[in-house]
Amino acid sequence: MNSSGHRAFSPGRIAAITANTLTELTRLKVFYVLLFFALLLIGSSIFMARLTFQQEFQVLKDIALGAMSIFTSLLAVLATARLIPQDREDRTIYTILAKPVPRSEYLLGKLLGVILLLALSVTIMGAVFLVVLNLREHAVLNETASQMSGAPPAQIAEALAAIRASAFNVNLLSGIAIIFVKACLLASLTLFVSTFATTTIFTTIVMVCVYFIGHLQGIAREYWLQNNSAGWLTKTFLGLVTLLFPDLQLFNLTDDIVVGTAIPSALFAKTVTLGFFYSGFYLLLSWAVFYRKEL
Amino acid sequence: MTDSAVAVLGVTKVFPVPWQRRCVTAVRDLNLRVSPGQIYGLLGPNGSGKSTTLKIILGLVSPTRGKTEIFGRDSIEVASRESVGFLPESPYFYKYLSGAETLRFYGKLCGLRGARLRSRVDELLDLVGLTSARDRRLGGYSKGMLQRIGLAQALVQEPKLVVLDEPTAGVDPAGAREIRDLILELKRRGITVLLSSHLLEQVQEICDRVGILANGVLVREGALDDLLGIENQTDLLLENASPELVKEIEALAQTSGARVIARGRPRTSLERLFLEATESKDEATDE
Repeated sequence: MNSSGHRAFSPGRIAAITANTLTELTRLKVFYVLLFFALLLIGSSIFMARLTFQQEFQVLKDIALGAMSIFTSLLAVLATARLIPQDREDRTIYTILAKPVPRSEYLLGKLLGVILLLALSVTIMGAVFLVVLNLREHAVLNETASQMSGAPPAQIAEALAAIRASAFNVNLLSGIAIIFVKACLLASLTLFVSTFATTTIFTTIVMVCVYFIGHLQGIAREYWLQNNSAGWLTKTFLGLVTLLFPDLQLFNLTDDIVVGTAIPSALFAKTVTLGFFYSGFYLLLSWAVFYRKEL
Repeated sequence: MTDSAVAVLGVTKVFPVPWQRRCVTAVRDLNLRVSPGQIYGLLGPNGSGKSTTLKIILGLVSPTRGKTEIFGRDSIEVASRESVGFLPESPYFYKYLSGAETLRFYGKLCGLRGARLRSRVDELLDLVGLTSARDRRLGGYSKGMLQRIGLAQALVQEPKLVVLDEPTAGVDPAGAREIRDLILELKRRGITVLLSSHLLEQVQEICDRVGILANGVLVREGALDDLLGIENQTDLLLENASPELVKEIEALAQTSGARVIARGRPRTSLERLFLEATESKDEATDE
């Protein structure tokens, strides 16, 4: 606290902005539309073609995790892109920043509101996915047990254990956590773009481009750098792209999770740390632009 | 000097025009001071630099040159906003919040919590006459009600200074009178008010001092009485005066070397006529 009693940093102020942002976002129709389609896709994966139980569980996980990743990313961009332009259009930004609220707290509160919304969405989608997976697992277990009723108990137990191993494993939770971290990164990056953009549509278009560049830059970099003829110009360009855009492919671990490959805890920790580092970095950039922005 | 509620010291604001090499000067070398307890009116046509000046005072826009102070503290400091409340022109606020929730939100931003916040919200809703609409969402508020809840949020932390940008813009005469009465109530409570407006009659009714901006330049500034009073003329308003008495007064004036310039019946204002007519209709409807 300084001499006037004003606190330079107040968790209470940030919490007020966060809670208000979450309320604002949960009243958006786009949130429910995206959640509905994501849940529809996850739920409908139960009816996919059944060849073997391994394939069935793979398809179910693939669709569910893919739907969660796409819809959560989309929600992160669409929800964040509108926050600052909407506050400016309604002039509420003036009433908030004319109070003793530092701009850094305003940005942090807004971002935390989006992150809470993303956590809520991922929790709902994840819960529905795990319920669907559990239902199918029990159905397959019952089906197999009745088909093998005459087989020796050891053989039945082995078959049922194989089914259980193909269905749920702890890596699914790691995969869901990484989807959430990637969405947080995208929200932070969107907030940064929206600090200098003038409209929501501009921010959204820029973020769609960033999303594709982020997913493709790793592949392009690998291809160009493996080619020995890559000159200094190419290398400089690639270095610049890497610096400006996050390599989103690093957050794409679902392929491994779907086929049952275990994610080493070191890789999980590294990916999560990288995601939060990027989120913090873009939040700092947002503050640098917004600090002296003319409102 | 720290005895001014607001001090604008040599402020110039230049906005660059995007994609062009030219700039627009919104405010040019502006100097003004608002004393504590005053109602100060910043007047000027659209685009004269009123809103930019207010935003600079509130630290929402940085001046290109010069500086502004609030009770002696540089406007750039976030802490200077502890003692300021602001109502922007035609605010919308968050439509999904009720009147009470809106005030609670702004109260929390100012560090109010618990019982103190609850009592402050009740007090403000009562002050602006919105107690009966406290739980209604702002989406269902009229323009006048929005302005009043806006004024209440500006007062939430009991500021010593309130800045109002076009406080009666788009409000009907009855609503405008309520806002005007509230501003006078603020003055009675010792709160300094700085307002911008282009509705001259209202400013004339409530302001102690005015500054007139034109193209970003302060062209006139001073106490309202000094600016509007005509030194060598006097008004004399009589009630129940007979024609003979009026003639006598005129003759007396002539003999003492004075000259009667105008004589006639004073007229009520259109605003008063409107309010009397609509209020009497409201009363009849209530019965």
